Amino acid sequence: MRLSFTARLAVLAITLALISSLASVFLIWNGIHNDAIAALRRDTVEQAQDFVSVYRSGGFPALREAINAARDPDDDTLILAVLDARGRRVMGVGPVTAAVQPLAGTPFSIAVPGHSAQWTGREAGFAIHRVGRYWLMTGRLLDDWEQEQRTIEHVVGLSILLAIVTGIATGLVVTRYVGRRLNRITDVVEAVSGGDFADRVETVAGGRDAFDRLAIRLNAMLDRIEQLVGELRAVTDSLAHDLRSPLARLRARAEQASLAEDAGAREAALSGLLVETDMMMRMLTTLLEIGRSAAMGRDRFVMAEPGAILEELTELYDPVVEEARMALTLDIAPDLPAMAVHRELLSQALANLIDNALRHAGSGGTLALSVSRGDGGVRFAVADRGPGIDPADREEAIRRFGRLDRARSQPGAGLGLSLVDAVARLHGGHLELADNAPGLRATIVIPA
Amino acid sequence: MTRKILVVEDDAATAAYLAKGLAEAGYSVETCGNGRDGLFLASEGVFDLIVADRMLPGIDGLAMLSAIRAAGITAPALVLSALGTVDDRIDGLRAGADDYLCKPFSFGELSARVEALMRRTDRSTTSGKPTRINVGDLEIDLLGRQVSRQGRPIALGAREYSILEYLARHAGQVVTRTMMLEKIWNYHFDPGSNVVDVHVGRLRRKLEEGFDSPILHTVRGAGYRLAPAA
Repeated sequence: MRLSFTARLAVLAITLALISSLASVFLIWNGIHNDAIAALRRDTVEQAQDFVSVYRSGGFPALREAINAARDPDDDTLILAVLDARGRRVMGVGPVTAAVQPLAGTPFSIAVPGHSAQWTGREAGFAIHRVGRYWLMTGRLLDDWEQEQRTIEHVVGLSILLAIVTGIATGLVVTRYVGRRLNRITDVVEAVSGGDFADRVETVAGGRDAFDRLAIRLNAMLDRIEQLVGELRAVTDSLAHDLRSPLARLRARAEQASLAEDAGAREAALSGLLVETDMMMRMLTTLLEIGRSAAMGRDRFVMAEPGAILEELTELYDPVVEEARMALTLDIAPDLPAMAVHRELLSQALANLIDNALRHAGSGGTLALSVSRGDGGVRFAVADRGPGIDPADREEAIRRFGRLDRARSQPGAGLGLSLVDAVARLHGGHLELADNAPGLRATIVIPA
Repeated sequence: MTRKILVVEDDAATAAYLAKGLAEAGYSVETCGNGRDGLFLASEGVFDLIVADRMLPGIDGLAMLSAIRAAGITAPALVLSALGTVDDRIDGLRAGADDYLCKPFSFGELSARVEALMRRTDRSTTSGKPTRINVGDLEIDLLGRQVSRQGRPIALGAREYSILEYLARHAGQVVTRTMMLEKIWNYHFDPGSNVVDVHVGRLRRKLEEGFDSPILHTVRGAGYRLAPAA
């Protein structure tokens, strides 16, 4: 059976209260018990000595007189008897036959004194001394002490009741308190899942208790979620915005094609349509690649020589660069060891940089590719003599869909440098944009 | 003899588009919509080529392919997929596909690749490795890596030679830009600019300058074809 949190807490509190009150009752009981026994022992020992000395000074007649004088008809707990050797009562008050067998002298002991009438089953504290041929037994039943015990039993009952009451009260108070603080957190979580990302849990104890620590952690998590949602929103907004222009061009081409009168114009419009479609596909693939590389493991890395990667790319691009009436130079530092890289993605990133240089640096000038070991590790640099990028604009140039004003008239989606940056990050490095005086020097830095 | 192609594609529109296009190209086409049926049909062993979507209901395309391979069917397979990143392409090829094409694709690209795969099967069945290829008046000595046209030697750079060799091995067929990037440069990404066109342009100048007939043709919207002038 599953108890509710409140009930379990109440049971725990009741148990704890019971343990603590019962422990104290037991201690008190024990203390009183010992005190009562000590008093009884004192009285008994004293009384026994009194009667023994009466016997010594006056013999049996004096003892009988003293016993008769000490008898009190109202006192039914007193034991004051002379027993024969077999324990039978000869005179005085006490059990007809003493239960203590064989009789022996004892200054004080606690036992059941006899089995007859009111003595049965009742403990008494008594002393036994030898008086001539007989034994003198003096003592008292434990009635006084029993009275106290009964009182203590009442106290125990009362304290159990008290423990239950305080337990339930504690359970209620604690669950109410815990519930209130947890509810506050639940409310915030609910509000956030409902879309209100600004709500936060306030701290009560200044960050010192567990609830506050939970609240602080939760708030930090919510901050992060809010930031991520914000970023996601920004990306989807810009995606929607940036998809709009190629889609508009696509639509225009399709319209041209459907309205074209002669076959030639229709053909031209249709091939334009294909070009636009391809560009959009490329853009989506690049976006996917950027997203992927942010979450990719290093299991696809292969050992490759930095120089070889650059040489292969140079070989691919050399004719294109030449066609753009630019000169391509390649500078590979000697003794670069092979390193673990994602060959395809790194090549694609470098290709993007070369492509950028071809598009933005225009005709003329030199396109310098180099790889060297330097600040931060191995540095793959692509440097052109174009207009460069203003330091203030560099961050915008790397951002997804970030397009500088002067590039807006040219085709492109503003993803090139963003992919390069993502690839550099995949390798644990970064992309550096610097002034080539004049021109742009883009460097992919990968820790060696 | 009509070549038989099995198309395993769950999207009805794409399947119909593929069936129609391939039938027009002269193939006999059978289509089915899930991996289980695909595996069943393919195990008959009558198909010359399997075109399979990567994401299929029932059995996934790549799993179907490895089951087909395990059954001893060696027909080449072309995998189609909407997953287009570099790693997806490489994964597909590693999983036993002979070629990989991303959706959406142009039909020209698909038919070029289908033809290349068919041709490859033919070559592996004809005995012996060729030592020279003749395309019209162009002669390529594969051992000495020498090229001549109408008996006149043509000097080519190493890369130009490998482009020509690739085109010559697929003589008469359309070879697309992406096929060349994948097979000659081993790049599975799209470099964006017209790099392949520039390389082919240079090769074409060397092959055609001073000769009266073109031999390296541009196929609009698809790629290139090395063939004697019609």
